[in-house]
Amino acid sequence: MKVKDLMIRDITAVFAEQRVKDVIKICAKQLFTGLPVVDEEMKVIGFISESDIISGAVPSYYSMLQSASFIPDTNQFKRNLNKIKEKPVSEFMTKPRVVKEMDSAIYAADLLIRNGWRVLSVVDEEEKLVGVVTRMRLLWGIINSPNI
Amino acid sequence: MEVLTVTMNPALDREIFLDGFEINKLHRIFDPSKMDMTPGGKGINVSMALANFGVKNVAMGVLAGYMGRVIEEELRKYSELITTNFVHTNGESRENITIMDEVNQTITEINAPGPTLDEETIEQFFQRYEMTLSRVSHVVISGTVPPGVPMDFYKTLSNVASKKGKIVLMEARGQLLTNAILSEGCPKIVKPDLRADRKCLGIELKNIDDYVKVSKIILERGADLVVLSYEIIKNVVATREGIWLLDTSQQVDISHVLGTGDTYVAGILYYLLRRDKDLFEASKFGYIAAVAKLRYSKKIFPSIKEIEIIRDNIKVERIV
Repeated sequence: MKVKDLMIRDITAVFAEQRVKDVIKICAKQLFTGLPVVDEEMKVIGFISESDIISGAVPSYYSMLQSASFIPDTNQFKRNLNKIKEKPVSEFMTKPRVVKEMDSAIYAADLLIRNGWRVLSVVDEEEKLVGVVTRMRLLWGIINSPNI
Repeated sequence: MEVLTVTMNPALDREIFLDGFEINKLHRIFDPSKMDMTPGGKGINVSMALANFGVKNVAMGVLAGYMGRVIEEELRKYSELITTNFVHTNGESRENITIMDEVNQTITEINAPGPTLDEETIEQFFQRYEMTLSRVSHVVISGTVPPGVPMDFYKTLSNVASKKGKIVLMEARGQLLTNAILSEGCPKIVKPDLRADRKCLGIELKNIDDYVKVSKIILERGADLVVLSYEIIKNVVATREGIWLLDTSQQVDISHVLGTGDTYVAGILYYLLRRDKDLFEASKFGYIAAVAKLRYSKKIFPSIKEIEIIRDNIKVERIV
């Protein structure tokens, strides 16, 4: 089974110059957990996930803590999120998370599990975005596979 | 992807086949095949017809709410050759319900309104449109627009695409179309939508001379092909080489017109992409594709094989 058999053929993406709040708005409306970041030719140059935005909005020491109860003021998150919402995607995006259409589904599953990612961008031979593949899409595809 | 289609006002078309339909009565449907749910809107129809012809395309526009997500999902389910890239906004996309009663020979239609688009949504669409243009060679801008969209919107879309060397095909009506035709980036292929009224560029289309006059004006503005529907089944086709009237000897049921204009557009593009660049031949192919569509009462698009079978059933008369 190939990635092309499981991918969602949707090319919703953002530019690196767009604002963080654009990402939140698109993801909330389209039920995505993150978006590919593309250049003007739709080459994938990064990825921005809900986790990247949350990390940007919590205090820097938060990652060392075991519980949110250590955060002194719960409004701090809201204040921080309001601060970063107008900032460009480029400040929070991570490196591209890509697979090719002809890659095997198991390779995509390995990438998702090993890195704790939820979504992969699918690109063509020119590295241009052609769709996405999600964890659930992989699971769905695998249980519906005629070979199993 | 070879073609980008724009549908600013998509709809979910629901057809219910219900014999003996009456108002003030509970009707239960036990056979799911009596209910049909398809994504709709002119650009989306073109995307579906193109997919039938084996042409990869990307469907764009604005969707809203739960209804919008259903339209998007159904469209992706329809064919692997369709990629979606819609902006989602507040409200609900249109839902068009049609109740067909074949016993009483009645059609009852209930059309819900679409969302009103704000400036931010339009801007977001435009950004994505520009981004996606780099992936295609042909652009289809088709149908009406919802409230909130300015009347120079199609003009802007056409100009941007033309500047990037894309071939634009526009099927629209009223001021949206007029503004695009009169702009610097007049679409290369213009198919005025004459279903609501037989008028184009403010000119009433009463006789064949009016059709010729309008065709010539659009050609002068920069179009290379103009297609105008004439007397239901006929079409006036104009290129820089001449103006023709197309008709068919094929027996047709003109009650099956849903989606024929969109099949026509898809047929033209298929011919240009797969066969030859001759615009007149492309319009003949589009015409016969539309005739092939008339076989189906539902929104079912014909295959290339079905079109080829009736390919010679076309009558061509040169007018100019």
